[in-house]
Amino acid sequence: MEIDFIAIILNLFRPENLLAVVIGSISGIVVGGIPGLTATMAVALLIPVTFSLSPITGLILMGGVYCGAMYGGSIPAILLFTPGTPAAAATALDGYPLSQQGHGGLALRVSVIASFTGGMVSAFLLLLVAQPLAAVSLKFGPAEYFLLALMGLAGVVSLAEEDLVKGLLSGFMGLLVAVIGTDLISGHLRYTMGVRDLYDGVSFMPALIGMFSVTQMMELTGLGSIVKGKVDLKTIKREKMPKGMGKFIAVGTAAGTVVGILPGEGATIAAFISYNFAKQMSKVRHMFGKGNPEGIAAAEAGNNGCVGGSLIPTLTLGIPGNSVAAALLGGLMIHGLIPGPELFTLHGTITYGFILSLFLANIVFLIIGLYFAPYFSKISLTPSAILIPAVSMFAVVGAYSMNNSVFDIWIMLIFAVIGLILGKTGFSTSAVVLGMILGPIAERGFAQALTISDGSASIFFGSTIAWILWGIIALLLFFPIINIIKKARTGKAIIEAEEIVE
Amino acid sequence: MKKTIILLILAAAMILPVYAGGSKEGAAYPSEPINIVVPSNAGGSTDATARQFGQIAKKYWPEANFVVVNIGGSGGLKGFDEIADAKPNGYNLGMLFTPQIVSHICSGLAHYNLDSFHYIGNIVEDPGIVVVPEKSDINTLDELKAAAKAKKLVATVNGIGSDDYIAAKSFEKIAGVEFNIMPTNGSTEQKAAILGGHVDVGFMNLSQMLANYRSGKVKIIAITTRKRSEMEKSIPTTKEQGYEFYMTATRGLVCQASVDKKITKALDDLLVKVLADPEFKELMEKQLISLAPMNSKEYREHLEELKAQTQVVYDAAPWGN
Repeated sequence: MEIDFIAIILNLFRPENLLAVVIGSISGIVVGGIPGLTATMAVALLIPVTFSLSPITGLILMGGVYCGAMYGGSIPAILLFTPGTPAAAATALDGYPLSQQGHGGLALRVSVIASFTGGMVSAFLLLLVAQPLAAVSLKFGPAEYFLLALMGLAGVVSLAEEDLVKGLLSGFMGLLVAVIGTDLISGHLRYTMGVRDLYDGVSFMPALIGMFSVTQMMELTGLGSIVKGKVDLKTIKREKMPKGMGKFIAVGTAAGTVVGILPGEGATIAAFISYNFAKQMSKVRHMFGKGNPEGIAAAEAGNNGCVGGSLIPTLTLGIPGNSVAAALLGGLMIHGLIPGPELFTLHGTITYGFILSLFLANIVFLIIGLYFAPYFSKISLTPSAILIPAVSMFAVVGAYSMNNSVFDIWIMLIFAVIGLILGKTGFSTSAVVLGMILGPIAERGFAQALTISDGSASIFFGSTIAWILWGIIALLLFFPIINIIKKARTGKAIIEAEEIVE
Repeated sequence: MKKTIILLILAAAMILPVYAGGSKEGAAYPSEPINIVVPSNAGGSTDATARQFGQIAKKYWPEANFVVVNIGGSGGLKGFDEIADAKPNGYNLGMLFTPQIVSHICSGLAHYNLDSFHYIGNIVEDPGIVVVPEKSDINTLDELKAAAKAKKLVATVNGIGSDDYIAAKSFEKIAGVEFNIMPTNGSTEQKAAILGGHVDVGFMNLSQMLANYRSGKVKIIAITTRKRSEMEKSIPTTKEQGYEFYMTATRGLVCQASVDKKITKALDDLLVKVLADPEFKELMEKQLISLAPMNSKEYREHLEELKAQTQVVYDAAPWGN
C-alpha cells in the first residue's frame, strides 16, 4: 500500500490537529517543569480523553506532551537546581551555575536549541529507518545492558576529578542506596528494615528533589537571590549564543537516540552519558560543573534524542522504550493500532501523521522556549524570601505525588540533609545520583547475563557490541585517569618544591 | 513576580487532582466522586482497565464521577492494604489483580485477607502463555521438556513470585526439568529478551505477545488455561498437551466487606451492565484484553483456589520472609 504523504501533511495542518500539537506541547512543558508530575502520568490521564477524538488527533496530543515534557524539565533544573524530570538532572549541573552567574537566559536558550535538535534528528530517524534500527536494538542482551550501565558509571570518575577518593566514595554511596529493596534474582528483601515503603527501593525522584533542590534552597537562605549581583532583562536578552555548541549537541543527539532505542533504558541515562562524552571532548573540561553551556547542550540533546529513539521499538515491536512510550502504547492500542509492520503500512496514514506531528511539537517548544527564556530567567532574580517557600512547597508536593506517598516526603527530607552534609564536606551529590540510577540497571544486567551463561563471565565478551562498549568505557576512563595522574605529579612536585624551600 | 508565583500555584492546583473523601449523610448514592484505587502506577494495563471502566460506567450513572487513584509499588501491597483500610462508604472502590493479591497473603506481609473485601466482580483476564523465539526448534511442550532435559534452558519470568514464576515452577515440577530462571522487572524486558533470542523460553501473558505472535515474530507453544482463548484460537492449551497447570492473571473490582448491602447491590449491577456494554467489549478487544466476567461468588472462589495453589509454591520455595 502506498502512503500518500501529501494527504498526511495536509491532514496534519487541519485546525484541530494543529491545536492538539500546541496544547500538547504547552501542557507537556508545564508537566515536565513541575517536579512530581511526569509525562507518563499526563499521557495516561489523556488516554480516556482521546476516546472522543479521532485517533490521529489523540496521538498528536500525546506526542506533544511527550516532546514538551522532555524539554520542560530543564527549565527549573537550570533556574532553581530543581530538575522537573529525572532526565534533567544532568542539565542542572551546568545550567544552575550559569543562572547564579546571571546567565540563566543564555542557559535556557542553549537548552531549548539542543532539545530541539535532539528531538528533530531522532524524529527523522524514526521516520526513515525505524525498522532496521529496531532490529539492532534487539541485539542488546542483559550483558550489553550491564556494559551500558558501566559506561554510565564511568561518569563517576569524570565527575570526581577534583577529588577522586571522595568522588568514588560518593558513587559507592549511590550504589549502596540502590541496593535497598527487593533483590530481583532471589526475591529477598534487602535492608528494608521492615518498612514496606522500601520494598521497591528508595524512590528516586524524591531523593533527587531532596538532594538537589531542597539542599540548594537551604544554601540559598543566606543569600538575597540566586543571582549574585545585579542583572536586568535587557542584558539577558542581548546575550549571544556561545559558539561551538554544534558538536556537543551532535554528540548528545547521537547518544540520546541510541540509548532511547534500547527498550527500557531511560532519558536520564542518556543525558548523563552525553554529558560525560561532552566533557571528554571539551577543550575547557575544567569548566564543567561550573557553568559550561557545552554540558547543557549535550545533556538536553541527549534526553530529547530519546523521544524519537524510544518510539522506534514501541511502534515496530511493541516494546516500549520507556514508561512514557509504554503509556503511549496504551493510547495506540485503544484505537486498535497494534504495533508491528502493519502500523507502517495498513495504518500508515495515522502512524506517519503521528511521527510528522513530533516535528511540529519540537517547533512549538522551540518557539515558546526562545521567546520566554528571558522572562523565565527573571525567576533567578526573585528574592529568596519568596522563592524558598514556593520551591519548598513544590518540592513537598512533587515528592508526594510521584507515588501518592507521605513516606516519600520523608525520603526527600532525609536526602536533603544528606545532600547538605555531602556538599559541605566536598563529596559529589551528582555522583551519588548517578550511582542510584545506574546501580539497579548494572546489577540486573550482570545477574541476568550470568543466569543466561550459567555463571560464565565470557558472556561479557561474547558479542561485537560488547567489545565496542568495552572500548568506549576504556576511552571514557582514559582522559580522566591521565588528568588525575598529571595532577598527582604536579601536586607532588609542588610539595617537593616547598620542601626544598624549607 | 508575586503574580507569577500566584499564577503558578493556581496552575498547580488545577493540575494536581484533589481527592475528596468522606461522605455526606443523607445524600443519595452516589453524590460524590467515587475513587477507584489502582495498586499500580498510571499507564499500566490495570490502570487502563480501571479508567475505561470508569468511562463506560458513567454512561449508566451519569451523575457519578469516577476518579482513578494510583498507589503503586511493592507489587500492589500498598494499594491492596489501602483499599482494605479505606472508609467503607461506597466511595472507595479498588482494583485487585492476581496473583499478587493472594501472594501477599501467603507471604504473611498483607494486612488484609480475602474476607476484607466485597467482591463486586471480575472484569478481565490475561491468560498465561509459554513462548519461544521465532527461530527456536521447540514447537510443543513435549519438545520443550525434551530440550530442557538435554540442556539447561534459560526461562524468563516477570519477577520472583509472579504468575509467570509460578507457572514456570509448575511446569518444572510436572515435566521433571529445571530451568535457569531469569527474572525481569517487567514484560518489556521479557519481550526484548525473547524477540532478540537471548533466552530459550518465556512464561508471559497473552496480551503481551499476541501482536508479535500474529506477525510471526515469536511462537506461542501453549496457553495455560483449560479452554482455548477466544482471542486467538490457534494456540493449544496446556491441558490439550497433557500438562495440567493453569495460570491466568485476572483483574476485578472490589470494595470493603462492610459496605452497606444496598450500595454493593447497586455496584454489582453496574458492573454487570458495563461488562455487557458493546463499547466496553470493543475497547477491551482492541487492546487484546480478554473479558472474563465473574460474579461476586465466582470471583471469590477463583481467588480462594489461586491462594491454595500459590501457598503450595510458597511453602516449597521459602524466599522473602
